[in-house]
Amino acid sequence: MLAFCRLRLVYKYMSRVIVIRHKRIQPDKTVASTAFYRQMILAGLEALFSPNSPSVELKQALPGRTIAMKTNCLTRNLNSTPGALIEALISILKDSGWDENDIIVWDRSNRELEGAGFKLNASSFGCRVMGTDTSGVGYSEEFYSFGEANSLVSRILTEMAGSNINIPVLKDHSIAGISGCLKNMFGAINNPNKYHGNNCDPYAADISCLEPLRTKNRLAVIDAVKIQYQGGPGYDSRHMGIYGGIIIASDPVAADRIGLEIVENFRRENSLPPLEKTGRPVRYLETAERNGLGTAGRNKIDLQVRLVDESGHVSAGELWP
Amino acid sequence: MAVKRRSFIKCLGCGALAALAPNDLIPAFLGGVQNALAFDYAGELSSMEARHYRKHPDGGVECLLCPRHCRITDLERGYCGVRENRGDVYYTLVYGLPCAVNIDPVEKKPLYHFYPGSRAFSIATAGCNVNCKFCQNWDISQSRPEQTQNIKLPPGDVITSCQARQVPIIAYTYSEPVVFYEYMYDIARLGKEKGIKSAMITGGYIEQKPLEELIPVLDAIKVDLKSIRENYYRDIVGGELKPVLERLVQMRKAGIWLEIVYLVVPTLNDSDGEFRDLSVWIRDNLGAETPLHYSRFYPQYLLKNLPPTPEATLERALAISRAEGLLFVYLGNIPAHTSESTYCPQCGEVVIERRGYSIGRINLKGDKCRSCGRVIPGRFA
Repeated sequence: MLAFCRLRLVYKYMSRVIVIRHKRIQPDKTVASTAFYRQMILAGLEALFSPNSPSVELKQALPGRTIAMKTNCLTRNLNSTPGALIEALISILKDSGWDENDIIVWDRSNRELEGAGFKLNASSFGCRVMGTDTSGVGYSEEFYSFGEANSLVSRILTEMAGSNINIPVLKDHSIAGISGCLKNMFGAINNPNKYHGNNCDPYAADISCLEPLRTKNRLAVIDAVKIQYQGGPGYDSRHMGIYGGIIIASDPVAADRIGLEIVENFRRENSLPPLEKTGRPVRYLETAERNGLGTAGRNKIDLQVRLVDESGHVSAGELWP
Repeated sequence: MAVKRRSFIKCLGCGALAALAPNDLIPAFLGGVQNALAFDYAGELSSMEARHYRKHPDGGVECLLCPRHCRITDLERGYCGVRENRGDVYYTLVYGLPCAVNIDPVEKKPLYHFYPGSRAFSIATAGCNVNCKFCQNWDISQSRPEQTQNIKLPPGDVITSCQARQVPIIAYTYSEPVVFYEYMYDIARLGKEKGIKSAMITGGYIEQKPLEELIPVLDAIKVDLKSIRENYYRDIVGGELKPVLERLVQMRKAGIWLEIVYLVVPTLNDSDGEFRDLSVWIRDNLGAETPLHYSRFYPQYLLKNLPPTPEATLERALAISRAEGLLFVYLGNIPAHTSESTYCPQCGEVVIERRGYSIGRINLKGDKCRSCGRVIPGRFA
């Protein structure tokens, strides 16, 4: 019965995508502080779930005692998942009843986490911060397979966490077109280098359908404060724009679809051709929809855009500009 | 308690390293570090600039080592997982960092006409440029170097270790040595100076130019020719057949000692037509005297749904190849089979007797059959 209720919850919000932009984080390059992120996340959760009981529904949406948060720390401190976003999310989870001992902030390697400014903590006390390469963690003993993907999956996902919040950084990707929720899951498997052919299609879609990823990825919070709209996934200051927002959704495919639109808007504004014209069509989103992972069709996505100000007041906003 | 294969291999690796670890083998850290800044970034991995790449006019680098020609932007890696672009300089991450070190009989490679009965100092790093669904060493070949237990073993120390143990051959094996090209090249070059032979055990998926530069420092190559069908390479191997065939011809023309292995996988590459086409191609392009080893498949990695190759299938392959004129055809992974030994094609006498990896009688005088004087191709002491 409980499982049925959870399923209903998942489907209820399946294709709803919330974009929250902060009025203070605009092209004046105001730093996105923990407080700003907290305001945006709270506004996003209220819009995604119910304005009356977002913390209750958050608890239902994230089953299991231990919550994992998959970051993207590829570019060290230049354009990785910000510590301020993670701090804000942890504070909200704690407010909703989670114990910080049951939260794991993770990526594939300790080196990348440290490079992005995170302080490692593999102990039993406090929020844990650890890479899959932490001694005693590693990858699953058995392979998981879906479509073209055959991989070992981080034990943080398969054994340690009940659910995962996917927290990528929205950016251009030299092969995949964009890097968002689906591409971030390459950091959860042992052999990501095997899956970059054909613009990551169908691999990005298939990897996210591996059983532990499909069942445990319950929420996506994409950092879209700074947008690397060309030259990603590394850092290139010449092609960095300020969007000043985050994207929240239960559907990783729909979240990426909206992320793609934001990246394409930046590209157009900066006289760059659409990704498809550069030989980087993001076809794997349609493949993911065919896999049943989520919604790629723009007209099927319930997009809601919010603006938040410093006092936390929320108003309706526009995706672009 | 059941011990899983991966755990066992890890233990075996540690044990092998420990057994090989007296002072002469693993000295203090010597590195392979060429760029202090890059090393600072890379932590435990090596940072030797790779050879055979170019900066791409549209940004990033293009790897020219294997036919994939991976185009890699900043902070990304190639398909092999062991070569990385950092600021449009391309690095090998595994130089001097093997994850498997062992001393094997050369027959295990298998190389049957290359100093039979010799021991081979066998090394591998993480990584591979294909993804064979039957790989028996996927634990290391399909891993990135952060995922394997590596030791620091610069080329000079490999040579010192061979000398200390009087091991005459170094084999680059287990995973795919093409992906640790720079490390292999430097060891082989040093070995050449010291009289130690080098044998590359490879899938042959390498570009023409790097192979051309490599051959002079090598003494033997064993190529896993996985199929004679392009679709098998595409579907089961994750590579291409055509460049492998071209490289085989290149090796033959260069005159380096060459043996071929064909892993017979039930239902996937075991038809009479494939055995015939393979044999004819080898005969016509590499010569009838090229040793061909048919090897028995055991369920592994992503092909656990298939049974081991029936002995009858291997014997059928043997018969077809012999009928097509190949003179030295062997069956592998079938202990005590008569086809393990080498027979003189002229008088039919056993010239090299084998049982598993052990050598019995060697009836050769130099490189000639003791009975009839017929030259047996290969490299013999």
